[in-house]
Amino acid sequence: MKREWLQHTILRVASSLAPYDQRGEWLEQWRSELWYVPPSDATRFCLGAFRDAIWLRRNSMGTVKQPRMHLESPLSCLVFLAAVGAVGFLIAVCLSGPLKQISLYSDLRPRDLPAAFIAMLTFSCLLLPGTLAVWRSPANRHSTTWKSKLRRGVFLALKIALVQPIMLCGLMFWILIAPVGIFAPLGMAASLIAALRWVITDQQRRCPVCLRLLTHPVRIGAPSKTFLEWYGAESTCSRGHGLMHVSEISGSYSKKAQWVRLGESWSGLFSTRQS
Amino acid sequence: MAEAPRLSHSSAMILQAIAAGHIYGYTVMEVTGLPSGTVYPALRRMERDQLIRSHWERQSIADAEQRPPRKYYKLTRSGETTLEASRKRYPLLAKLASTEEVQDA
Repeated sequence: MKREWLQHTILRVASSLAPYDQRGEWLEQWRSELWYVPPSDATRFCLGAFRDAIWLRRNSMGTVKQPRMHLESPLSCLVFLAAVGAVGFLIAVCLSGPLKQISLYSDLRPRDLPAAFIAMLTFSCLLLPGTLAVWRSPANRHSTTWKSKLRRGVFLALKIALVQPIMLCGLMFWILIAPVGIFAPLGMAASLIAALRWVITDQQRRCPVCLRLLTHPVRIGAPSKTFLEWYGAESTCSRGHGLMHVSEISGSYSKKAQWVRLGESWSGLFSTRQS
Repeated sequence: MAEAPRLSHSSAMILQAIAAGHIYGYTVMEVTGLPSGTVYPALRRMERDQLIRSHWERQSIADAEQRPPRKYYKLTRSGETTLEASRKRYPLLAKLASTEEVQDA
């Protein structure tokens, strides 16, 4: 009885990795199969469920639309970050009081927070080249106007600046939890890298022309038919500016994500298209 | 006509086991000796690639036998073509769980 409890717990925990809309059937299948497995093999059998759930999550395109924040447009993304950043800054001001009680930060005053913000921004700028080095920008066979490049650069810079108050608030919480030792600087560096990673990933998922998030991902090709072909995902700009091809494997012919610009002849398919 | 896709040895073994009549997950594991963490993702991948298709057993049948319903797998036409190509690539594959063995059991 005790072992059955363990196996069902393993399956329940593994099911949390499966996509929400397929979790019920996934769990039902594993429980059904478990019934036929001899008790001596049952635990090892259940441990395989983690790999299966991870595979399902990685290969599921999300047939059911999940509730998500509407940050498709660049403006709504910046407004959201600014709002969260403002709240984060206010919390940081409130936290400066409790922090004063820690001897190391006894001289901290709310007016020092802008300086801390600038220090974090500088630190982020120092980390940025390293983070950008691992970022593979999409290959674009079409020339991009300097206006478009400038807009993308400004958008990236604004996002980096707006995540700083959020990070500052998080850092102050962290210092309150672990005021001494090397954990504070390590935690700060790790969270800044994670924040920069999000900023860049978000940038990669946007249309290079209008900066809106790419939508309608579809799977292209099959892993078992890869000879001189690619397989992966294709996303579309909702304004019809183009398609982004992201290969699942890195071959000599598909090292980077490919941006394919759609011409004017496609405009009829996208009613809201704007140049 | 498009060339049949090439399969890994593990996937070919799983396809052969299904063709031989081992049509649900745990029996595929038993006959191939592959762990559950390999068999179930491979079954999903092959179903996605339309080499096999699955269906749930009717609840009434399972209830009559006092067991949970099983998810059965079956080769598609594309799966049969791919398996034929895999048998040429892996000649010993045909010896794995031959159809006669299953029918005798």
